[in-house]
Amino acid sequence: MRRFIEARMRKRLRLAFLVLAVLFAALLAKLFHVQVIRNAELTEKAMENWDRELPFAGKRGEILDRNGNRIIGNRIAPTLYFMPSQNRDIAAAAKTLAPLIDADPKKLEEQMSKRASIIKLAPEGKNIPYETAVRIGKMGIPGLYTGVDYVRDYPYGQMLSRLVGFTGYDNQGLAGIEFAYDGKLTGKGEKVRLFTDAKGNPLPHVGDGWVEGGGGADVELTIDVRIQEIVERELEQAMLKYDAAQALSIVMDPDTGEILALASSPNFDPAEYASVDPSIFNRNLPVWMTFEPGSTFKIITLAAALEEGKVNLEEDHFHDPGYALVEGARLRCWKREGHGSQSFLEVVENSCNPGFIELGQRVGKEKLMQYIHDFGFGQTTGSGIAGEASGILFSEEAFGPVEHATTSFGQGISVTPIQQVQAVAAAVNGGRIMKPYVVRRVLDPETGRPIEENTPEEKRRVISEETSKKVRESLESVVANGSGRNAFVDGLRVAGKTGTAQKVEDGRYKEGDYIVSFIGFAPADDPDVLVYVAVDSPKNEVQFGGTISAPIVGRILGDIASVREIGPRKGQLEREYRWGDPIQIRVPDLTGKTYDEIRQMLYTVKLEWHGKQGGTVVRQLPEPGVLMEESGTLHLYAEPEQKD
Amino acid sequence: MHALEKKLLILFASAAAALSLLGVAFVHSAGSYWGEVHYEDSLPFALKQGVYLAVSLAAAAFVLRFRGIGNKTFWNTVYILSIILLVGVLIPGIGAVRNGSQSWIALGPFSLQPAEFTKIAVIGKLASMLGEQRGRKVFKLSHLAVILLPAGLIMLQPDFGSMMIMTVSAFCVLLIAGYPLKFFFGLGAAGAAGITALIAAAPYRLDRIKAFLDPWSDPLGSGFQGIQSLLAVGPAGLLGYGYGQSRQKYLYLPEPQNDFIFSIIAEEIGFIGSAAVILLFFVLTAAAFGLAARQRDPFSLQMVSGMAAMLGFQTFLNIGVVTGLLPVTGVTLPFISYGGSSLLAAWIAAALILRFGAGGGKG
Repeated sequence: MRRFIEARMRKRLRLAFLVLAVLFAALLAKLFHVQVIRNAELTEKAMENWDRELPFAGKRGEILDRNGNRIIGNRIAPTLYFMPSQNRDIAAAAKTLAPLIDADPKKLEEQMSKRASIIKLAPEGKNIPYETAVRIGKMGIPGLYTGVDYVRDYPYGQMLSRLVGFTGYDNQGLAGIEFAYDGKLTGKGEKVRLFTDAKGNPLPHVGDGWVEGGGGADVELTIDVRIQEIVERELEQAMLKYDAAQALSIVMDPDTGEILALASSPNFDPAEYASVDPSIFNRNLPVWMTFEPGSTFKIITLAAALEEGKVNLEEDHFHDPGYALVEGARLRCWKREGHGSQSFLEVVENSCNPGFIELGQRVGKEKLMQYIHDFGFGQTTGSGIAGEASGILFSEEAFGPVEHATTSFGQGISVTPIQQVQAVAAAVNGGRIMKPYVVRRVLDPETGRPIEENTPEEKRRVISEETSKKVRESLESVVANGSGRNAFVDGLRVAGKTGTAQKVEDGRYKEGDYIVSFIGFAPADDPDVLVYVAVDSPKNEVQFGGTISAPIVGRILGDIASVREIGPRKGQLEREYRWGDPIQIRVPDLTGKTYDEIRQMLYTVKLEWHGKQGGTVVRQLPEPGVLMEESGTLHLYAEPEQKD
Repeated sequence: MHALEKKLLILFASAAAALSLLGVAFVHSAGSYWGEVHYEDSLPFALKQGVYLAVSLAAAAFVLRFRGIGNKTFWNTVYILSIILLVGVLIPGIGAVRNGSQSWIALGPFSLQPAEFTKIAVIGKLASMLGEQRGRKVFKLSHLAVILLPAGLIMLQPDFGSMMIMTVSAFCVLLIAGYPLKFFFGLGAAGAAGITALIAAAPYRLDRIKAFLDPWSDPLGSGFQGIQSLLAVGPAGLLGYGYGQSRQKYLYLPEPQNDFIFSIIAEEIGFIGSAAVILLFFVLTAAAFGLAARQRDPFSLQMVSGMAAMLGFQTFLNIGVVTGLLPVTGVTLPFISYGGSSLLAAWIAAALILRFGAGGGKG
C-alpha cells in the first residue's frame, strides 16, 4: 500500500515536472519569437514610441530681388503640440490655454483628449505670435510643446503681389511665383527628435537627434525693388488722379530681356488673399491682359519699312488729308483735319495713321504679317510668368487690305503688354528678340550657390543694327518734337511712342473708354531701360497716351536714371517749344558771381539768396546745365557769414 | 546524506542566491530612474532590496533551524494566521490600496503583502495534511476548503495573480498526492468557468484579455503595459543594449523594478542573457523537483514539490506576461522583483525546500 502510494506520487511528480518543463520551453520559444523573430517590427515601433518628434517646419525659400533684397521672407510663428499621455488634468490645461489662443475651451479639451501620442493644436494653436508662444511656454503646462513654424513675411507689403502670389494654410504656394516654384521653395521640414523619458524630460545619456531636413531654395528675381517701388508709386498716383479702372507697367532691360519691374494696380495683400477677388490675384495684367496696342504698334510697321528699305524718313514726304481710302473704306487719322504735307519722320512724330497705312502698304501684306510674327506677336513670349496670354492676330485668310491697313497703325489686333515690350525692345536694342524673364536664379539655401540659372536668351534677329538705330532716332524725335513730348526728361535722351486704344467690348468699340499707353526707353543712343505703362479707363483728362502715360513714363525713367546711374547724355534732341509749354532755360554756371551780376544775366527767374549778403555763389540749385522753368526759383548759396 | 542529494541542495541554494544577486543588480538598473522621479526622498530601490535580501536570508536561516517546522499544529497556526491577515487586509484602516488592489498591510515604514505568505501557508498546510494520508483514497473536501477559502479572500482584494499562483501550486500538490486525473479535468472545466465568471464580474479583466489578444487596439489604455513590455524585450535582439542601457525604464514601462523587471533584463542583456536567466530558474526548479523525488516521507515530498511548483509556476506566469505569452497579470518574479514581501516569501519557500529536501523537515 505504502509502496503503491509512493510509486504513484513519484509518477505524478514526474508529470508535474514535465508540465513545468514544457511551460519553461514555451517561455524560451516565446522569448525567441519576440526578441529575434519580431525584432525588426518591434524596433520600429519602439523608435516611434521613444521619439518625441516635434515637427520643425521647413523654412520656405525666400524670394529675392536682383540685388538680394528680400521681397518675401519668413516670420517665426510657432505651432502648439500636445502629448496627452503627459498631462493628468487635460481639462484644466485646456481651460488655461484656451483664452490665450482664442479657442473654445470645450472644443480644445476634446481635441487635447484625443488618443494620440502627439496632437497638433490646429487651427487655433497654429502659427501663433511668437510672444504668445513664449508666454505659454513659461506657464509650463505638462505635455504642451511649441514647434517651430513659419509664416510668410512681406517686408514690402503688397509690392509685386500679382507676380509673386501667395501661400496657403500649410505654407504651400497657391499663386504666382510661389506656385510656379513651389517645389523648389518648399523646405523638406526638419524634426527635432528628442530622446526623452516618457514624460518628455531629456535623457542625460542620449543626445537629442536631429532629423535633417533643410530649407527650401531661394528664388532670385530679375526685379529691382527700387525700380518696382518707383513704378508702383507712379501707377498708384495715376489710379487716383485719373480714377482709372486699372493700370500696369513693365520695365525691362532691352539688351537682356530681364524684367526689372512688373506692376499691376490695384495690388492686394498676399497675407489676406482669402478676402481678395480672384480676378485680382489671378490676373497678372502685364502678361494676362490683351488689347489693341494702338499707336505703339506703329514701331513695328516703322521697323519693317526701314528694314525693307521702303522709306527714307527725311527725304520721303507724305500728304495726310485726315483719312485714307482703302477698298472704299475711309480710315480716319486721329487728327480730323489731317496733318497735311509732312516728311515720314514727321509722320512718326505725329503718329499719323494714313502715313502708317502707306508704310504698311509699301512693306506689303505678307511681309508685314511675317514681321509681326517675327516680332513675337500671336504667341506667348515664354517668360514663364503664370497666366500669360498669346493675343489674337488676323488669320491669313481674313487678312484683307483693310485689315492690312488697320494693323499697320495698331488696330484690329489684340496683343499683351509683354509682347509689345519684347517687340519694341528688339526694335531698339539692335534687332534681337530677347526672351523676357523674371526669375534670375534659384539659390541653394545653405551655400547660396545657384542651382538653376536663367541667362539672356536671344530668340532671333528681326532687323539690322542700322535699322534699329534709325528706329531709336525717330522715336527720340517723337519725344522731342512729337506726340511723346510729355515723356521728355532733360539729359536722359528719352525716346518712345504713345498708344491710345479704344476698348473693345463684345466685338464693338466702346465709346469714350480707352487704354492709354506709352512705351519709352532711355537713353536713345544706347537703351538701358525700356518702360511700358498703360492706364485702363482713365477719367478726368483727355484720354491720350501722350497726356496720361507719357509723363508717367518720363517720371519713371527720370527716377530709374538715378537708380541705374544713367548719367546725363550728350547729343540729345532739344525739345521743341510749343505754345503753352512752360518756357525753360538752361541754368548757367553761376559760381563766383555776385547777386547783381546774376540778376543782370537772368532777369526773368526768381532768385533766392542764402548766406552772406554781398558774397559770391559757391553752390546753386538747380545745378549748372539743368533745364528749369522760367517761372521757377533759383537758389543761390554764398559762403557762410563769418562769425566775429 | 546521499551525494547527489547534497549536490542538488547546493545547486538549488546557488541558483537561488544567484537569482537574488541578479535581482539586486537589476532592481538597481531598472528602478533607479523611476525611483528618482517618483520617490525622491526615499532610499534607492537597490539599497532597500539589499536590506530586504538580508532580512530574507535571516528569515531563511530561521526556517532552516526552527524546530517545530515539521509539526502539523505549526502549519495549522501559520494557515490560520494567514487567513486572519487576509481578512485584516480587507478592513479599511489596516489594509492599504495600491494600484486598485487592497493587498497591503502597512507596518510603520514597511508594508506586507499577506497573499505572498498565504501561498506558503496553504502549501505547507496541505503538505502536512497529506503527509498523514494512509489510504488509497486521497480526496477530501477539507483539502479543497483549505485552498478555496484563501483563494476567495485574495480575490476580494482583488489579486488575481497571487490567487492563481496559490491555487495552481496547491492543486499541483493535490496532483502529486494522487488525486484522480479525472478530478483535474473536471477542475480544468470548472476553472475555465470560474475565470469566465471572474471576467464577467470585473470588466477590466476582459479589457486585459482583449489587450492580450491585440495590445495595439488600445495602446494607451489596457494594452499599455503589454506593449511597453514588448517594446523593451523585442528591440533588444540577441545581445541586448548592455547592462544599464535600457530605454523603456525611463518611465515608459511603469514600475520597471517590479512585476516587469524581466522586461528590462531582456532589454539589457538580450535573448542570450535572458534565456540564461530562464534556464537558471529552470535549474532551480529542477533541483527542487529532484530533491522532492528523493524524499521517502510524503510530507517532505509534498512540501518540497509544492514549493518548487509554486516558484516555477510564478516564474512562468511572470515571464509569460512579460513576453506576451499570457495576459497581463500582476505577479512578481521570485528572487528578482523589487519588494520585501515577494523576496521574503521566495526565500522562505527556498529555505523550506532546503530544509525538507535535506530530510530535516520531520525532525
